Amino acid sequence: MQLPTTAASRAIDGFIRRIGDAIAWVWLVLLAVIVCNVVARYAFDEGRIEFEELQWHLYSIGMLLGLAYCYVADEHIRVDALSERFSPRLRAWIELYGSVLLLLPFIALIVIFGIPFVARSFQVDEVSVSPGGLPLRWLIKAVLPLGFLLLGAAVVARLLRVWALLFPRHSADRDAG
Amino acid sequence: MPVNELLAIAMFASFMVLVFTGFPVAWVLGGLAVAFSALAIIADADFGARIGVDWAYASLSVERIYNVMENWVMVALPMFIFMGLLLDRSGIAADLMTNFSRLFGRVRGGLAIAVTLIGLLLAATTGIIGASVVLLALLGLPVMLREGYDPRLAAGTICAVGTLGILIPPSIMLVLMADRMAMSVGDLFLGALFPGLLLGGLYIAFLVMVGWLRPAAAPAAHAGGDIDLMVVLGLLRAIVAPASLILAVLGSIFFGLATPTEAAGVGAFGALLLAALNRKLSGAVLRDVLRETTKTTAFIFAILLGATAFSLVLRGLGGDDLIKGVLLGLPFGANGILLCILLATFVLGFFLDWIELTLIILPLVSPVVIGLGFDPVWFTILFAVSLQTSFLTPPVGFAIFYLKGVAPPSIDTGVIYQGVVPFIALQLIGLGIVYAWPDLVTWLPARAYQVH
Repeated sequence: MQLPTTAASRAIDGFIRRIGDAIAWVWLVLLAVIVCNVVARYAFDEGRIEFEELQWHLYSIGMLLGLAYCYVADEHIRVDALSERFSPRLRAWIELYGSVLLLLPFIALIVIFGIPFVARSFQVDEVSVSPGGLPLRWLIKAVLPLGFLLLGAAVVARLLRVWALLFPRHSADRDAG
Repeated sequence: MPVNELLAIAMFASFMVLVFTGFPVAWVLGGLAVAFSALAIIADADFGARIGVDWAYASLSVERIYNVMENWVMVALPMFIFMGLLLDRSGIAADLMTNFSRLFGRVRGGLAIAVTLIGLLLAATTGIIGASVVLLALLGLPVMLREGYDPRLAAGTICAVGTLGILIPPSIMLVLMADRMAMSVGDLFLGALFPGLLLGGLYIAFLVMVGWLRPAAAPAAHAGGDIDLMVVLGLLRAIVAPASLILAVLGSIFFGLATPTEAAGVGAFGALLLAALNRKLSGAVLRDVLRETTKTTAFIFAILLGATAFSLVLRGLGGDDLIKGVLLGLPFGANGILLCILLATFVLGFFLDWIELTLIILPLVSPVVIGLGFDPVWFTILFAVSLQTSFLTPPVGFAIFYLKGVAPPSIDTGVIYQGVVPFIALQLIGLGIVYAWPDLVTWLPARAYQVH
């Protein structure tokens, strides 16, 4: 979908893109951790539980912070068999209503209930139940609301652009994108 | 009909309608979870419906998503995605195409068979349909058209072979299915191997037959010299690297040497080495592949997160029991119910992607099927083959779209539609064989347990 950009949307999208570009390297780190753990298990006969936990920590970070990155690139899967025949304005209206009625409420659900979820973990100083597991469990749990907050910011940027297409007169700082 | 069942039906119907607005599937799922929680709360408060879905129940979505995060098996997914995307950029497929067409090109139908064999090798490394179809089309389509192949046959072969990636292990679809069904990834991988090879074998048999009966559709190629030892050695050299990677990944799972997660990590590392050996690994390539991995991982997991919330609320509304009641109420025996499920999957696959079907439909129907006494691995593979077939079916066959995107203008949608028809028939034959002969699926996983 071709949408005009605004100064604010460009700033938010740029910020998320930079974070995503950096986060992408997490997969290389994950790869190294897995290979090291396998080698350690076979060569020195000691697989380490903290390495295994580190693996899902890294994957969670990449997956959750990638949500907003993928959103900015507009690569989340759409069934566009019908919608590719819609006019740009209709598609912009769909984007507007879908974001306000479906996506933002979903983000609200995860953030509103995700923050107390992290807070409980912080209060009881939760650590891994496995012996030798990683401490500070609240830190990785916090990535869940964080990822969705970042996604929320990306949605705001998209809505600014949708608004600029639908109501050109009201967006003073629009320009072609 | 009780209010909760009406809400469950409305929730499912809303999904089927809203998804066609073109709004991303993941957010339709997540948003409907919130909307129908609200509706259930209103029904309880204002109409005394006693459904019991409230915000405390909906908030369980957070815990469920955390369960996805801490699921170690899921770590395999981004690693398999990285491995596939990197191998596609490593020049291995181009090497294979050159060497296979030298060997087979002069036989009638040989180029199409070469494409099929390369597709099988790619399928065992990537499992990303879009990537496989595009790569095969770029490599194989120009050669086949230049040599006078029937465009319909060329296009159909590429589409069909490209979809095998989703079935032949290691496959990201099978990892997700294993997660949803609480089954072992290894069992599904091993169970899918022979059905995948069977389909590849059916394709090749079909191509040989076309070359024999209708030489004009699949002529022998003019290019290339005689077949001598050098040609065979060249092919062996091109095959040995990807084949050893595939053997290492699948073999370590078969012999229980590594978990699927470890096999995925080691496979990804092997892909890095192969790309480096082929001198195709640069900073720019690595950066691009990592970014693509991030986005691909994100869009798959976005749907997984949305589906987690959606399924939670649908279950709260009694949707599971409703489906179970409908399926068990069908006036057929156990086999009839199974066939109805497969048929419904096939039809839904005309419109929906494998990710939605795996995450929404499979968990709904599988308890019923397993309750009827069918083998879970066998059923899942049948489900997987039905899904894979649906990629080829108009109007919304994803393989067709991917091919259309990169094919020359002479290959229009009509040509592709006609081209895939015989392959859809082959798929149904394959499905029938797997249905009639469950050992094809269950034998290898059982062997693996004996080996352990």
